[in-house]
Amino acid sequence: MSHLADERDELSHLLTQVATGSQGAFAELYRRTAAKLFGVCLRMLADHGEAEEALQEIYTTVWRRAESFDAGRASAMTWLMALARNKVIDRLRQRHEYRPSHSVDLDDLIDDQPGPASRAEATDEYRRLRECLDALEPKQRQSVREAFFSGSTYSELAERCQVPLGTMKSWIRRGLLQLRTCLDA
Amino acid sequence: MNTPLDSDRSQLRYAEYVLGVLDADARADVVSEVLTSDEAATAVNLWHRRLQPMSEEISPVEPPDHVWARIQQALRFDVRERARIAPARPGLWENLRFWHWIGLGASTLAAACLLLLVITTGPHIAPSSPAVPFMASSIAQTDGHVGWTATMDIQQARIIVVPVAPESFTQGKAPQLWLVPSGQKPISVGMIATHAPTTLKLDRALLARLGPTAALAVSVEPVGGSPTGQPTGPIIATGAIGAAQG
Repeated sequence: MSHLADERDELSHLLTQVATGSQGAFAELYRRTAAKLFGVCLRMLADHGEAEEALQEIYTTVWRRAESFDAGRASAMTWLMALARNKVIDRLRQRHEYRPSHSVDLDDLIDDQPGPASRAEATDEYRRLRECLDALEPKQRQSVREAFFSGSTYSELAERCQVPLGTMKSWIRRGLLQLRTCLDA
Repeated sequence: MNTPLDSDRSQLRYAEYVLGVLDADARADVVSEVLTSDEAATAVNLWHRRLQPMSEEISPVEPPDHVWARIQQALRFDVRERARIAPARPGLWENLRFWHWIGLGASTLAAACLLLLVITTGPHIAPSSPAVPFMASSIAQTDGHVGWTATMDIQQARIIVVPVAPESFTQGKAPQLWLVPSGQKPISVGMIATHAPTTLKLDRALLARLGPTAALAVSVEPVGGSPTGQPTGPIIATGAIGAAQG
């Protein structure tokens, strides 16, 4: 996995250079990371035009806020992905109307046999999280995963899965606390 | 769980923020906490590290080229700098560089090269259905950088050509846009600008030949356009035509 570690160092280095105003480093960072972030925008927003707008907003923010990146606190990819998810979720909250997919049974909603986009590229962090997710009760695991990939609120999730709001909150909260215990062990 | 209930409760809010289940008001509360409290910032950061590996399950998707052009415009990167730092798109134009190297300047050779280019780049061209209402092309220069982007609106029968980072032209010379149908001679689309978008009509002959087997090309011509109806100056940029993503 050493090429992953190298890639990680290179991205951190690029982001540090972007913070000093290097447009060349910014172009290289975009070339290496835009497809990953665009995949996330498309998946969560489910709208090509809006995903493009979100990606533009994300990278203009990267340029302006790169100096707040601290390589000691997070990897460059974690920092970029956090920024991207936050922008996308804020956009979802600004939508006037919630656009639900059809009401479905939770069991049909989520692919519960997931894998990374490319097995060869799975990080140790992913394998670890996967083990801890697998240790959760199915309802907890499925609702945490659905929440993560859809960016939906508790109410939206409860409506879509046709369960009471309190039930959805309890599944997700217990799932999150158990994940923390498992991951921090 | 042996952590105190209160700690769990505040931990949960940070986790819920990162997971994305909070409504707009609750999100804003967490954001202001993160801005004022190191402890909150650290907790949120930790939750990002815990949950984010799930993103690895999402397949990467290459964004369309115009997103990068818009980002640079939004950040007011200057045009010369833009040309220098355009993300490299390897492969497609290696042939063109080769032809340039053997002497693309001669006009007869230029036309021949265009035909050859269309043939040699064929497998790279994305398939498109005949019913697509819009088509698009990134017209890349011999140095690999995108000079113009073109969008073709079939229903309105027009093409909009937007300069991204075109090279400069000497006095009395200007860029002329050509459509090159596979295996045929170039057809003039019109003169295009280097500093502002140009909109040109697409007549019936051009519309009939648009498609994934045709290409766009830009040649250096006198300001009034090629006097012969065929490219007389060097071909400085070419682009495959594909269905616009949308």
